[in-house]
Amino acid sequence: MRLLGRSAAVAAAGALLAGCAGGPGGGGGAISDDKVVLAVLTDQSGVYADLSGKNAVEAVKMAVADFKAKYGDKAVTENIEVIGADHQNKPEVANSKAQELYDRQQADLILDVPTSSAALAVANVAKTKKKIFIDVGAATTELTGKQCNKYTFHYGYNSYMLAHGTGTALTKDGAKNWYLVYPDYAFGQDMEKTFQASIEAAGGKVVKSDPTPFPNDNFSTFLLKAPDLDPKPQVLGALQAGGDLVNLVKQYNEYKLRDKGVNLAVGLMFLTDIHSLGPDAMAGTRFTDFWYWNADENNRAWADKFHAKTGTRPTAVHAADYSAALQYLEAVQRGGTDKADDVVAQLEGHKVDDIFTATGTIRAEDHLLTHDAYLAEVKPSSEVKEPWDYEKIVSTIPAAEAFQQPDPACKL
Amino acid sequence: MILSKLAGRPFLLAIGLLVALILPWFVYPPVAMDILCWALFAAAVDLLLGFTGLLSFGHAAFWGGSAYVTGLIALHSGLPFPVAVLGGALFAAVLAVPIGFLSVRLRGIYFAMVTLAFAQMVYFIANQWRDVTGGENGLQGIPKELFGLDLSDPFFFYYAGLPFILAGLLVAWRIVRSPFGRVLMSIRDNPARARALGYSIDRYKLLAFVLSAALSGLAGGVFTIGHGFASLQGVYWTTSGQAVMMVVLGGIGTLWGGTIGAALVVQLHDYLATAGFEETGIITGTIFILVVLLFRRGVWGTARDLIAARQARGRPAPEPDQPKIGATV
Repeated sequence: MRLLGRSAAVAAAGALLAGCAGGPGGGGGAISDDKVVLAVLTDQSGVYADLSGKNAVEAVKMAVADFKAKYGDKAVTENIEVIGADHQNKPEVANSKAQELYDRQQADLILDVPTSSAALAVANVAKTKKKIFIDVGAATTELTGKQCNKYTFHYGYNSYMLAHGTGTALTKDGAKNWYLVYPDYAFGQDMEKTFQASIEAAGGKVVKSDPTPFPNDNFSTFLLKAPDLDPKPQVLGALQAGGDLVNLVKQYNEYKLRDKGVNLAVGLMFLTDIHSLGPDAMAGTRFTDFWYWNADENNRAWADKFHAKTGTRPTAVHAADYSAALQYLEAVQRGGTDKADDVVAQLEGHKVDDIFTATGTIRAEDHLLTHDAYLAEVKPSSEVKEPWDYEKIVSTIPAAEAFQQPDPACKL
Repeated sequence: MILSKLAGRPFLLAIGLLVALILPWFVYPPVAMDILCWALFAAAVDLLLGFTGLLSFGHAAFWGGSAYVTGLIALHSGLPFPVAVLGGALFAAVLAVPIGFLSVRLRGIYFAMVTLAFAQMVYFIANQWRDVTGGENGLQGIPKELFGLDLSDPFFFYYAGLPFILAGLLVAWRIVRSPFGRVLMSIRDNPARARALGYSIDRYKLLAFVLSAALSGLAGGVFTIGHGFASLQGVYWTTSGQAVMMVVLGGIGTLWGGTIGAALVVQLHDYLATAGFEETGIITGTIFILVVLLFRRGVWGTARDLIAARQARGRPAPEPDQPKIGATV
């Protein structure tokens, strides 16, 4: 009975909302339901909660505040809402929630959505509902490849950017021989393929490449044989993520492989990963990052504002969420409407210049945001001057080289 | 007296049907669809757990395995979705034959562990066989084809999927009420005596296992078509765990209890997704512990006992305390 009671209340509330929307709101028609609703669908309780999670919602709220401050009375609408939802990393929850957000909460945009399977599920919802989806947290290139669609955009990073950036930069820096260990599932396999291609294109060689079980907590078999491979690899490319990466790095340090001349490069790493391991465990490790809070004055100023609200420093994903929300609102402002097709037209080919990137372009062919990426190195704790100050930027990978060419399989 | 008559089985059944028919008016339709699918899945698990005394911890293999097969048929053949769903259910049944054959000899925790191991194998295959299953990305964009009808609105798809779930629940109910079901219960209560009476208990258990798997597959197939994708989540062990949890919440050995458990869990997940709490696991865990402590026989089991107690009070002479058929184990 309680169940029915709650459901009835929800239904009544739904009816009420629908009534309102049909009523006085119907006037101009430029802004649906007289408001713009940005929904942040993310992982608030699982493995991605730190790098995205509830602070991603804060980042989007900051974008709304900055947008309102910039346009004031001239803003296309005063009424901008931000809602957060937790998909628990389950694609079916993401799928139902996305439908509900678009249908019932009048969301005009869904943002974030880490976890590739969840992101692809939401992309399909966006396609059927003809509503906009900007993914920030997922790594799969399929979002802008075979499974791309007109209403889906991919922002921030993907597996190609990570693997290509680190593989090319380090090989050109003199690391000719590589030993790759990758987790044996879609993400790891894609990363490995791109790594191999990039290393070979840059004149290096992959001595050996081993798949590891996923998830896994013991990498000793792979680590112990690394120094004895012939020819001896200069770099161990670890393409694990999250908890697996933490285990691998701990063992890498235990076996003192760096002293044996095998350096460590990592496929995917976030500021929060370094924070949880401590900089000394990772010192000297190189990886591709796509935004760093302490890279310059602009980033730092924004990170200070973020810190004031959340008590922590933003990851690259948080900055990308901010930028995606801001660029969406700017597109609505330029077009004077939040109708999805018009916003898509405004976004396609648009040049992005904000705190996230000064060199961004939203590619019209596949809706991927291309921008500069960075080769980063983890500082030893002796160089860390303040909390969260863990990275130094070694070099910049220009936008044109950082991402893959548009996939011909993508038909918008 | 009128009340006690009204509380009879046909009345409850009619209420259940009515709720199933009007559910999408009160609950968001995709969520209502999830409740249906999980209800059938829970009933299938209860068929083994409550009526045969076998705790399977590997039913994700059948739910998720069927999800992939259903998805593949729908994606590549263009056949109407009922064909795909039935194909998925058939696959689950076929898959259950070797798994069941090798595991029904075991009891208790050993049975649970072996079924879990098989399910993990299926998970591993689904994860590795990327060309077919899509690996971690899953199968996406599965169509809801039914003779050119547009079922993309989840409200309409609910009614397209409902007959499959109701048919599945009817089959489960018939199995429990049939002579075959009685044999299963006797095996549950006293396997030695059942064997002494001449029943080949392993074959009965195997058949129960296969039937349960087929029903799980049916539920998984409808679920996949409803969502438009099949993913690794479906074959992951937490899916098996969730089904068992629904049965325990609703009441083991009640068949309909699983439906209530499914409604509770799915609604709770849906609610928690936007409630703004961070630790959803702690909340579901607490509720689970409370229900297990306060309602030993599950929500439905406890409610049924209360109704029975009321009826007994209304009667002039108290009945002797007989063990009820199909009561909780």
